[in-house]
Amino acid sequence: MMDDPHWGFIFTAYFAAVCVLSGLVYWIVTDYRLQKRALDGLEASGTKRRSDGARG
Amino acid sequence: MNLSFANPARFLAFARIAIPWVGGLGAVLAGIGFYAAFAFAPADYQQGETVRIMYIHVPSAWLSTACYGMMALSSIGTLVWRHPLADVSAKAMAPIGAAFTFLCLITGSLWGRPMWGTWWVWDARLTSVLVLFLIYCGILALWNAYEDPARAGRAVAVMTLVGAINLPIIKFSVDWWNTLHQPASVFRMGGPTIDPSMLWPLLMVAVGLTFVMLALHMAAMRNEILRRRVRTLGLIAASTETQGYSG
Repeated sequence: MMDDPHWGFIFTAYFAAVCVLSGLVYWIVTDYRLQKRALDGLEASGTKRRSDGARG
Repeated sequence: MNLSFANPARFLAFARIAIPWVGGLGAVLAGIGFYAAFAFAPADYQQGETVRIMYIHVPSAWLSTACYGMMALSSIGTLVWRHPLADVSAKAMAPIGAAFTFLCLITGSLWGRPMWGTWWVWDARLTSVLVLFLIYCGILALWNAYEDPARAGRAVAVMTLVGAINLPIIKFSVDWWNTLHQPASVFRMGGPTIDPSMLWPLLMVAVGLTFVMLALHMAAMRNEILRRRVRTLGLIAASTETQGYSG
């Protein structure tokens, strides 16, 4: 395939796919850690939702 | 999805187990499909090796419209049934759909340059997919324009349903207008026209990436549920502080 005159287009297409999909995964994982840390911080400070209080 | 998962807490418990399994299965299937696409599928008699771009371009195109279809269904859930997870689902899907549409446009352009001699042409299929990408961008902007996620959810749901008119335009653009883009060769009346040696790796990648998309959707929904809990607790903490100062 490397001797095909258009291999650069094929390589770039798959490189773009790897970048877009790994970017999506990275963003979702980072966002999860961020939200979890913020939630843990608020819960550790004793803040509770009314529904949490009702459940005991 | 089953209505018993309408409860966010139950959904979070389900997602914790499902995300790695669904994502892992998708990655394995897509991996096998890509391997077959390069190791076993033949080069095209006209396009040569360039046809291998098809194995990422076509599944991206299918997923770009599938994601929007799921967003439209979620929007109906928001407006008609006020399903507790409907707007969470719609919001989580928007960046994923936008990413697959972007990938479809980029890979299509990289395929078009050697085969058509141009990076871009304003034909009906390409233009309608570009419009889809712009709608995704508009939806993402609208989500960020409102402070209250419930109000944003209703506004976005209306916009999403209006934008859904673009889905049949994308699908039938190659039949309704004279386009440089080829007509459908897989999902068509009379069956696929593509050779089985190319079809099965293509379908394998498509099914694999669909599972990956579903896992990403569940993970993004989980993030959105946590974000709303953080917002609620932040408001409670702020009001408690205010009461403390005034008391």
